[in-house]
Amino acid sequence: MKVEHYNAIVRAQMSRRRMLKGAASVSALAAVGGTVPVAALADGHADLRAEILKIPGVGQGSPTDADWQKVGEMTLGPTKERVAEGEFEGVELTFMGLNNQNLHNFLFRGFLKPWEAYTGAKINWVDLAQADYNPRLQQAIATGTVDFDIIEMGAPFEGDTAGKGLLDEMPDWVGEQIEEDDLVGYLKPPVGTWDGKKYRITIDGDCHTFAYRTDYFGEGAIGGAEVPRTWQQVNAVSKDLIGKEDPLTGLPAHGYLDPLKGWGGFGFYFLENRAAAYAKHPGDPAWLFDPDTMKPRVNNPAWVQAIQDVLDLIEAGAYPADQINADPGTTGFQQFLAGSGSMLMWWGDIGSNARTSDTSVVGDVVGFGINPGSDRVYNSQTGEWEDNYNEAPNMAYLGWGVYVTKRVSGDEKKRKAAWSAAAHLGGKDISLWMSAYPSGFQPYRNSHFQFDEWEAAGYDRAFVEDYLGSNADSYNHPNAAIEPRIPGIFQYYSVAEDELAKGYAGQYGSAQETADAIAAAWEKITDQIGRESQIALYKASLGM
Amino acid sequence: MSSEGDLLHVVTADEISDRRRRFGKTIVWGSAGLMFLVAFLQTADQNGWIDIGFQNWRPTLYAYVLWGICLCAGQVIARGEHGKRSLFVLPATLFVVSMVVFPLLFGLVIAFSDWNLSSPDGRQFNGWDNARQMWSDPFYWNALKNMVYYTLAIIVEYGIAFGLAILLNAEIRARKFFRVAFLLPLMLSPVAVSWMIGKSMLENRFGPISRMLRELGVDNPSFFSSPEVARLMIMLMDAWTYIPFMMIMILAGLQAIPRELNEAAEVDGASAWRRFWEVTFPLMLPVSITAILIRIIFKLKLADIIINVTSGGPGGATDSVTSFIFREYRDRSNVGYGTLLAIFYLILIVIAMTILMKAAERWMRPRY
Repeated sequence: MKVEHYNAIVRAQMSRRRMLKGAASVSALAAVGGTVPVAALADGHADLRAEILKIPGVGQGSPTDADWQKVGEMTLGPTKERVAEGEFEGVELTFMGLNNQNLHNFLFRGFLKPWEAYTGAKINWVDLAQADYNPRLQQAIATGTVDFDIIEMGAPFEGDTAGKGLLDEMPDWVGEQIEEDDLVGYLKPPVGTWDGKKYRITIDGDCHTFAYRTDYFGEGAIGGAEVPRTWQQVNAVSKDLIGKEDPLTGLPAHGYLDPLKGWGGFGFYFLENRAAAYAKHPGDPAWLFDPDTMKPRVNNPAWVQAIQDVLDLIEAGAYPADQINADPGTTGFQQFLAGSGSMLMWWGDIGSNARTSDTSVVGDVVGFGINPGSDRVYNSQTGEWEDNYNEAPNMAYLGWGVYVTKRVSGDEKKRKAAWSAAAHLGGKDISLWMSAYPSGFQPYRNSHFQFDEWEAAGYDRAFVEDYLGSNADSYNHPNAAIEPRIPGIFQYYSVAEDELAKGYAGQYGSAQETADAIAAAWEKITDQIGRESQIALYKASLGM
Repeated sequence: MSSEGDLLHVVTADEISDRRRRFGKTIVWGSAGLMFLVAFLQTADQNGWIDIGFQNWRPTLYAYVLWGICLCAGQVIARGEHGKRSLFVLPATLFVVSMVVFPLLFGLVIAFSDWNLSSPDGRQFNGWDNARQMWSDPFYWNALKNMVYYTLAIIVEYGIAFGLAILLNAEIRARKFFRVAFLLPLMLSPVAVSWMIGKSMLENRFGPISRMLRELGVDNPSFFSSPEVARLMIMLMDAWTYIPFMMIMILAGLQAIPRELNEAAEVDGASAWRRFWEVTFPLMLPVSITAILIRIIFKLKLADIIINVTSGGPGGATDSVTSFIFREYRDRSNVGYGTLLAIFYLILIVIAMTILMKAAERWMRPRY
């Protein structure tokens, strides 16, 4: 779980006057938590899951290295089934990962310490700050100096690594050990695979969900009786709200909050939210490029409609002042949470921060759902709009995974050791702990949505269901819009942001002109990276 | 002892035999030959003409270091004390060559290459393609145009800095306190300035400045929505940070002016304005020109505030060349094109600064 989620949930429980109830269960848990015997392993599987959730106990402060080691020790079972004690004596591995918020690699160190003690292998760590991560990885790839055996990496980079033959194929036993069938729908292959081969142990999930203000909607509310279900309704409500007063703050009311400023490429996900409903046809896995030619679809009628929607709201004056300078951080934290605007698409952070963040005023009036749909969907094959209801949650960024590099391929002992270490981190039980406590990772397995387990661990069921439910619905949606895992995908997003900024500032004549400019810039990038290889990799990433 | 050459500064009598001289020259040329041979072999291996199997460029680096050592040693062996003298400069020169000149040349090679880090083909020489792309890149020219505006703002900054410097040079109460207080913005990181001021104080809903303006009756005050206002705000934030820098230089200059000159002018009946315009200002010209030139160099690197506050928006109105190159480099891994933009910018700067310095030389001549 991301730290802010954890803190938010823990604090939310207090703020909802469940302190007494919480305190009772927490103290009971704490009493057991400190002395969980490793012998608990001998008990049933369900017992193990319940036991590890008691380390250190919900509301008992942030877990420490001792807790991580304890969890790592208790979840060694699957490793012991496949690896003999001391089997990897003399093996040294290098693990490259992040050090965000003192999590990621810090957790992995603790989790893997018992694994090192049992197997005899030694792991050397390369910790990187988020900002240094991309350049370090890109340079390692570009200069052919991959100097790590195991890497924590986002799925969007699979094109840059697996596509260039830098990764080691995942052995079948790893899939069994981590019980990969348990992964939520959208994280199953083709994500994590390349040319039909598996490379990734998923340890995280990501998607955008819809957050709205419950006080704007309902009988007699200013936004109408129903929460908008489609982007057409979102726009209509946003225009209707002009001139009205926010029921909470008394300031001008606003509808949907589009970020109109770039965010190092990440801002493009927010136009994608709108476009997904129009452009992601259920019968076609592709929606950003034509898979046969890599011709951008970003200037087809569906995408143009998405851009037009934003231009319409700019034209109507539906956004807060200065929106042209609002990036996603602004729309999420300085606007929505601060009481400006009534609808937003964002990652899970908004849902949890809403209730307790010091700057949030919307805690008691926030609801969640999946990405709004559309009354019509564009079919790229026929070039026609179809008047069917369509929805497509945007799986913005595909979460972190653990990968093993080709460096170990020649040495079978080392290879097994690397995969064993990676599999330990991606195990089913350890992942439950990671999704329930601060780890930097979101839930990503179907088993993470067994709300009974959360409740038994001391969480407030209603809150957890609310927070996790919209994620689960998005993850398992049959028409989820999946991120293309092609090399340089953020280059496309970044250049699109630059062109969109010009379009939103009125420097292009129309939405179509803006979209055409993006398409032209995308064509240039495709030609530069290599069209043929991009086509092949795009198809591979879509599992075609 | 040699009876020719610079005998005045020679301390040691060197009798250098022909054999020793030959040996000195041999190791210099021998190591140079070895360096070129290794470099050639590596290039050939790299380009696939021959297959030697070099893993990296370290052999060439080692050959360069060996040549450097032999070159230094060779000077002493072949030229004796004269050679020792060149050792005062030679290692530094070699260091500069390897740390500045070589990377610059290497940068030129990259500038004329198609090199996207995500491309499986790696770096490809593409001649003038990057230059052509630059020529038709509206984002780059827009950024250059913005740089002209930003640079022109220095004239106003200079005026303010001069005024402040004169105030702080006067006999005012708490002068030391004000000198330190006025210097504080310079000590702040531009990143802190962009967050404290650009993203907090100027935030259009909750920022104190916006609130104050609303109190004063301005509807929806917004600082980064229109291109002109956004550019002005960036200029103001940058000016706030760097005016103290110019101010402190000018203040130092003012304090160096002998008091007698102004007093003599006063005795002659010159008004305060005449004293400033005819005495102080001309005497301050060298310092002023230096301050302005250094400030221009700082200004041309303007990027951090823009990246943090507006990302170049709205619609590129606040983009600087550096912030654009940053996006091209960091977000799009477009190393070849980004390098060409940077090199072209460097050439522009060198030309502009040369012209400026020549012109400044002329201005700085006394008018009397």
